[in-house]
Parts: sequence; structure tokens; C-alpha cells
Amino acid sequence: MQHPRARDRRAPDVFRKGGWVPMREYPCDEEVDFVIVGTGAGGATLACRLAEQGFKVVALDAGAWWRPLEEFASDEAHQQKLYWTDERICDGENPLKMGGNNSGKAVGGSTVHFAMVSLRFRPEWFKCRSLLGYGADWPIDWREMWHYYDEVEQALSIAGPINYPWGPPRKRYPYRSHELNAAALVLARGAEAMGTAWSATPLATVSAPQGKSPPCVYRGFCVAGCATNAKQSALVTWIPRALKAGAEIRDLAMAGRIETNDVGRAVGVEYFRDGAWRFQRARNVVVAGYAIETPRLLLLSANHRFPDGLANSSGLVGKNLMVQSNQAVWGVMDEEIRGYKGPPSLSINEHWNYEDKGKDFFGGYAYMSQGPLPAGWASTQNGRGLWGAELSREMQKYNHQAGLKIVGETLPQERNRVTLADEKDQYGLPIARITYAFCDNDKKLIAHSLHFMEQALEAAGGKEIWRQEDDTCHLNGTARMGDDPRTSVVNADCRSWDIPNLWICDGSVFPTVGGVNPSLTIQAIACRTADRIHAIAQRGEL
Amino acid sequence: MKQRVRSDTTMLLALGGMALATTVLGARKPARPPRQALRRQAGREIPMHIAAASRFNHSSSLLALSVLADSAVEHYRGSFKNPAMFIPLVSASLSFFAGLHGGHDRRAASHPVRHGIYAFAAVAGIVGTGFHIYNVTKRTGGWSWNNLFYAAPLGAPTALLLSGGLGAIGERLRDQPAEDPHLLGMPAGSALALAVSAGLLGTVGEVGLLHFRGAFQHPAMYAPVIIPPVAAALMAQTALTRPRPRPRTRWWLRLTAGLGLLGMGFHARGIARCQGGWRNWSQNIPSGPPLPAPPSFTALALAGLAALRLRQTEK
Ligand SMILES: Cc1cc2nc3c(=O)[nH]c(=O)nc-3n(C[C@H](O)[C@H](O)[C@H](O)COP(=O)(O)OP(=O)(O)OC[C@H]3O[C@@H](n4cnc5c(N)ncnc54)[C@H](O)[C@@H]3O)c2cc1C
Ligand code: SF4
Repeated sequence: MQHPRARDRRAPDVFRKGGWVPMREYPCDEEVDFVIVGTGAGGATLACRLAEQGFKVVALDAGAWWRPLEEFASDEAHQQKLYWTDERICDGENPLKMGGNNSGKAVGGSTVHFAMVSLRFRPEWFKCRSLLGYGADWPIDWREMWHYYDEVEQALSIAGPINYPWGPPRKRYPYRSHELNAAALVLARGAEAMGTAWSATPLATVSAPQGKSPPCVYRGFCVAGCATNAKQSALVTWIPRALKAGAEIRDLAMAGRIETNDVGRAVGVEYFRDGAWRFQRARNVVVAGYAIETPRLLLLSANHRFPDGLANSSGLVGKNLMVQSNQAVWGVMDEEIRGYKGPPSLSINEHWNYEDKGKDFFGGYAYMSQGPLPAGWASTQNGRGLWGAELSREMQKYNHQAGLKIVGETLPQERNRVTLADEKDQYGLPIARITYAFCDNDKKLIAHSLHFMEQALEAAGGKEIWRQEDDTCHLNGTARMGDDPRTSVVNADCRSWDIPNLWICDGSVFPTVGGVNPSLTIQAIACRTADRIHAIAQRGEL
Repeated sequence: MKQRVRSDTTMLLALGGMALATTVLGARKPARPPRQALRRQAGREIPMHIAAASRFNHSSSLLALSVLADSAVEHYRGSFKNPAMFIPLVSASLSFFAGLHGGHDRRAASHPVRHGIYAFAAVAGIVGTGFHIYNVTKRTGGWSWNNLFYAAPLGAPTALLLSGGLGAIGERLRDQPAEDPHLLGMPAGSALALAVSAGLLGTVGEVGLLHFRGAFQHPAMYAPVIIPPVAAALMAQTALTRPRPRPRTRWWLRLTAGLGLLGMGFHARGIARCQGGWRNWSQNIPSGPPLPAPPSFTALALAGLAALRLRQTEK
């Protein structure tokens, strides 16, 4: 898409083909209360909650504003339009594969094509340095987070089990868990054989109608974008709410620089839209571009007063990048599996997130059942070196494949980082260089998980089992929160230590990642940030 | 969308209106108790218990129709994997026609073929429940909520049992003397009322489970777990206390009967809310809310009305 759609006081209606909804608009020279860069899990949530509090909010996203009902094709190749595929340089011992599996570029951010797994952190992880001896403590108490998890689960009508086997009690999930497909039952059988619990996965796709969202139709195209709107992405949840509350959202608007004034406060954002660079004035700037683009924008905004980039007096902007390990074991089952029927991860085992005995590593992992789409599966097979007749033979087994895949914790390391390269992107901005290496602890965790899952899959009847060892997912941690300005970029309220009207509200602020998918936590933090901003504003300290 | 909201509101209003009418009318117009054990129907006087038996035949056939449609859709969805999955279709069809036949039959004697058909339905219902229990327990997870929600529904075959049960009771009633008919060692009216009460409660259990699965996402989903239990209680009261005119019970049963029909309307809306709506009927009828299910309440409430009428003639 070339031209922005959200203009002339209207925005695309995501629930109607060709539809529009009214949208408030602010002139660029009006100093709005908040300009937010990025409308994904962090940005959209915050935009909605702030607008609902009555703040004047403008949110920018580099991506397009799609109408899922008419523009999401059942075609994996076509749907790459949802991914952030701008050029980046990846190096280090374990260079990351960037794109579909870890970043989105659309109004709604990565949640438009995410897999909807909606998990809470294990409470101890918020104090993992003090309680578990690794990583860094969060400046937030888990009980407070529990409250915000409740809020997000309600807002997204999460479909989850009546009893979740791990962690402290939680409120009943608003919607019931989905029917398990055969792939999910493979995980269940394996988990039972290994003597551990298992559960239906709490998912952000509805199992009964919710507002304008129909129930999930189990066609399994989730990671290529949901064409029915059953998926409760930011695009169909927070964004419509934000519009209703008076926020303006500008699509195809790429932020290139945050300006600060002589007293060191942010004054607005320079962004490229519709062929020209523009400037939006604001009393507060929020960066929510996810863990690569957020540090990139902060570094790109360096000026004579902040020569190392904004909010970077600690030197930590861009450092401590944490992916989550995403290794899998796959096997062929006697029975038909057709894992692509339904959301890809319908069942889960969090045993090794909550059990600390029997581990030779810090941290934890969850593993989930899998439902790869055909083209993705073929490319996984290419990754194994299969080609031609061999590939064709392997693909014949597609309907009988079952797999278990982890979301594994990696430790924060300063050497894993985002910096600026000399090369420029289509906007003339230096691109991100992403340097990554697993540490020994990460490798031990991966080895443990592969060993365990292999046994589980075999016990469930898997044959011809093989390991997929090269994948990673989810990006976090390049602008960590903390209690101390010397060792963190923002405080618990996501407010930068250096520039009091600059906030960071996305996956970047995680001090550690835990062994669960991050989006629920990102949204919970955004809700908390909104409440904190409200309280700070009440005190006149904004 | 606006349209959806409007039609939902209309249905909610209709539901509210029915409830209001019930209370008002029930309170205002004390119904005249039918003193004589005879009922004028189609120009002929027929004994009260035969009229009740015919009503039970009719209710049984309405239930059978609901089972037929429901099991046809559900077992089609299950690809008739097991040949036994045809049994409820056959049995419910037979019960349906037996009910139509019995509904017009004024003879004071049971009909052996009809009776046989009803017995078959009752047995099929029991065996079906066994199959469904097996289907739940053999799944990974066993007696888990997920299996209760998504494996073969435990309560569904009991509707067939109910259809057979109501029909059989009707048949046995015909063999009773017109004066002071008895069933199961109690006055026939009481027995019928208790049967209806139990049937209502069983059906409520099934609806409660499935509406819980649907997260009670629409407020109207509470109606069938609130209104019929009251009807069941009123039926139990009718059975167990001295016979007397019960206008409120009558109106409440009418409300319950109406609820069944209105429920179908809501389920039709539910299908419309699925992806593709009614245009995609071939997928959404099997996967949306079951269209034929709510009229079971109508069937039971109609049987309840017949029981009430009979009970009011008893001493
Ligand atoms: C395939 C896939 C599956 C996933 N599955 C799950 C899952 O099952 N469960 C889960 O919890 N998480 C999952 N995730 C991760 C989850 O989607 C992300 O962690 C989460 O969306 C991150 O939120 P965010 O707000 O930090 O960034 P995003 O949601 O990525 O939003 C960032 C937005 O900022 C925009 N942006 C960036 N820079 C700029 C700029 N300079 N100017 C303007 N706009 C900018 C981008 O276009 C993007 O839209 C998945 C991710 C992917 C890619
Ligand atoms: S399986 Fe459900 S959530 Fe996934 S794309 Fe289909 S309708 Fe959407």
C-alpha cells in the first residue's frame, strides 16, 4: 500500500469491507498530549487507555491499516505484507533471522500476525535476580501485574481453560478454551506419559462471538493474519477503542527522529508520510516500535545534547537484546494430525517454567503444539537441506507431522545489542545492526528442552523424530526498566530517566523475558503505564 | 452490525415482554379449574386423561423432531463414523410419526406399535448416553471441561430418552381408567408433572453446560437456565401438593414454551454472527449454536401444560 488511508477525519473500519469509521484529527502544529510511535501490543494499548482518560493522542505506525475481511488472503507469500522486512544487518555468533517470525509492520503491530498465545509470567520472574539468582529484578511487583493481566485478559476476551495448572490462581478466563486439535492431543499424551501437567493454551482468539468478532473458524491461518477477525489483535481491540475515545492514528507514518529542546525535553516527532517529512508537536513522546526499532529510533535521535542517543545516559539503549529460543522436535504419527487445523498452539506444557529441580541452567521454557502452514513447512524442510525428490517425499508426510516447540528464556547479555549501521534504508535512515549470540546457559536450556520433548514426542507415538535447532522468536529488552538510572533506561512507569517526557512502552523494557510469549505482559505493562500516567498527571507532574 | 444489535434487542424485549405478560396475566386472571374429567375437543367429549396422553404424544413428537434435526446435523459433522450414529435418526423419526399418530388417537388403550417405538427410543437414548460417556472418557484428558464441551454431548441422547419416556407414559396412561387414573403408584397427573419436571432439569443441565462453553456471551443465554428451572420447580410443586388451580404455573409453562421458540430465533442470530453468516449456512449450521435444540423446552412445557390440566382434575 502506497497511500495512507487514515485521513480526512476517517479511518478504515476493520469490521466492514470497504467501511470507514470517524477519526479525530489533530493539526501537526498543535501540541498534543502524547505522540506514540508504533501501534502494536504496547503502543495501541497505551494509545487506547490514554485517549480514554481524555488525553489528546496521536499514534504513528510505519505500517499499513488493513481491513482483514477483504485484504487478508489465504496465501502465505502474499501475507508477507504484514512483516517488517526492511533491511537490517544481522551478525554475531548466532545471527538472527529477522522478518515474519519476529516482527510486524502494520497498524496493530506484530499482533496482527501473532500466534495469540496469551500467558502470564511466573511471579518469581519479576524478582528473578533476588529469588532465582539470575538476570535482573523488575521494578514491579507480580501482584500488581496480576491485576493488569486480568484487565488485558478481559479486554481481549482470552479463551482459556477453567483451571490453569501452573502459577497462583487467576480470574476465570472470559471465554472457554478452544477444542483441541490432533496436534494438541499429541502434546497432551506426551506430557501425561512424562508425568507432567498440560493444558489447553489461553489464546487471544474468541471461542464464541464477541462484539463484532465471529468465533474462530479453525482454519489455522493465524500467523499469516486472521481473515475473520476472531483473533483479538490490537488492530481489532485497542485500536477501535482508541479511535472511539478520540485518538488519531496515522498509518504509513515512519518516525525518523525525536526532537528535544534546549532544556532536554522532547518536543515532538519527525516522521515521513505521504512523500514528505512532517513534524508532530507533543508534550510527551512514547516510543513503542518493538525491541529493534525502539532503540534504533532513540539512537537515530542523537543530538548535541544527547550525543549517544536519547535516554541513554546508562549506555544501555540497544543492549541486552533477548530473543526467545524457539527450537522444536518433529515426528511422524500413525494417525492423521493436520496440525494446521485451528490455531497453531492449542496446547501447552509449562512444567519447566515452574519446576526448578533437575535443571542445569537458569530460566525456564514452555513448549506448545504446532501447526505449520504448508509453505512455511516446506521452507523448514529446506532448512534441513531437503530439496527435490527428497523434499517432495517429506512433504507427503505433512498431514501426519506433529511437533513440539519451545518458547525458551534467554539471559540478558550486553553483547547482544542493536546499533546503527552505515547503510541506509528507503527513508535515508541508518539501518539497525543486530548482534546476537546464545550464552552457555541458553544452550543448556535448549539442550534440556530438546531432550525432554524428544522423549515426550516418542511417548506420544512419534516416529522419525528429528530436531529443529535453528529458530528464535520474540524480541525484548533493549531499553530495560529498573530502579536505578545507572543500570536501566526507564523506570517502572516506562518513563525515561534522562528525559522526563519521553516514555518507552513495548517489549523493549523487559529486564528478562521468562519462558512465555511476551504480548500479554507488554499489554499489561501498557495498561499499568496508562494508570501511572494518570496518577502522575493528577499530581501535576507530567 | 446495527441491525444485529437491533434484532437482539427486539428478541430481548420479546423475552422480557413474555415474562411480564406471564406475571401480570397469571396474577390477574384466576383460571377456572376444569371440574369435569372430560374435555371438549373437536366437537367431541373425551376423557381428560386421554387428552393428556395425546398431548404427551405430541410433545414426544416435537422432542423427537428436535433430536432428529440435532443428531442429523451433529452426526453428519461426525461423518457417521460409527454406523450406530444412524440409530438416533431412525428412532427419532419413528417417535416423531408415532407422536403424530398418537396425538390424533382418542382411543382409551395403548397402541402396541407406538409403545414399542417409544421403548426403542428410550433404550436408544440410554445406550446413546453410554456411547457419549465413552466418547468423553476415552479422550485424552478424560473427564475434563474441554472434553465435556467438545466431545459428544452427554445430554443430547437423553432428549431421545425423554421423547421415548413421554410417549411411553402417554401410552400407559391410556390403559388407565378414566376415573382416577394412576401411574407409578401415584395419581397420573402427579406422575406426568414429575416426569416433565425431571425432563426440564436434565435439559437445563445440558443448556447450562453449553451456554457456559459459550461464556454466556449474550445476556439472553441466561434465560434458559433461569426460566425452565422455575417451571421445573412449579411442576414438582404441582405433583407433590394438593391439586388446585395454578394459573401462575400455567403461564410460566407458556413462557417456557415461548422461550423454546424464541431460543431458536436467538440461535438463528448466533448462526448469522458466525463468519459468513447464513450465506455460509452449510458450515455455520453445523458449527453455530444448534438451531433445533431450544424447542425441547417448548415440547416439555407443552407436556407440562397437559400434566397440569390433568392434575387439576385429580383429588
Ligand atoms: C509470527 C509471530 C508470532 C507471535 N506469536 C505470539 C504469541 O503467540 N504470543 C505472544 O505473546 N506474542 C507473540 N508474538 C510476539 C508479539 O507479537 C510481540 O511481542 C508484540 O507484538 C510486541 O509488541 P510491541 O508493541 O513491542 O511491538 P509490535 O507489536 O511489533 O509493534 C511495533 C509497531 O511499531 C511500528 N514501528 C516501529 N518503528 C517505527 C517507526 N520508527 N515509526 C513508526 N512506526 C514504527 C511497527 O510498524 C509496528 O507496527 C509473535 C510475534 C510474531 C512475529
Ligand atoms: S484459526 Fe481462528 S484465529 Fe486463526 S486465522 Fe482462523 S479464525 Fe483466525
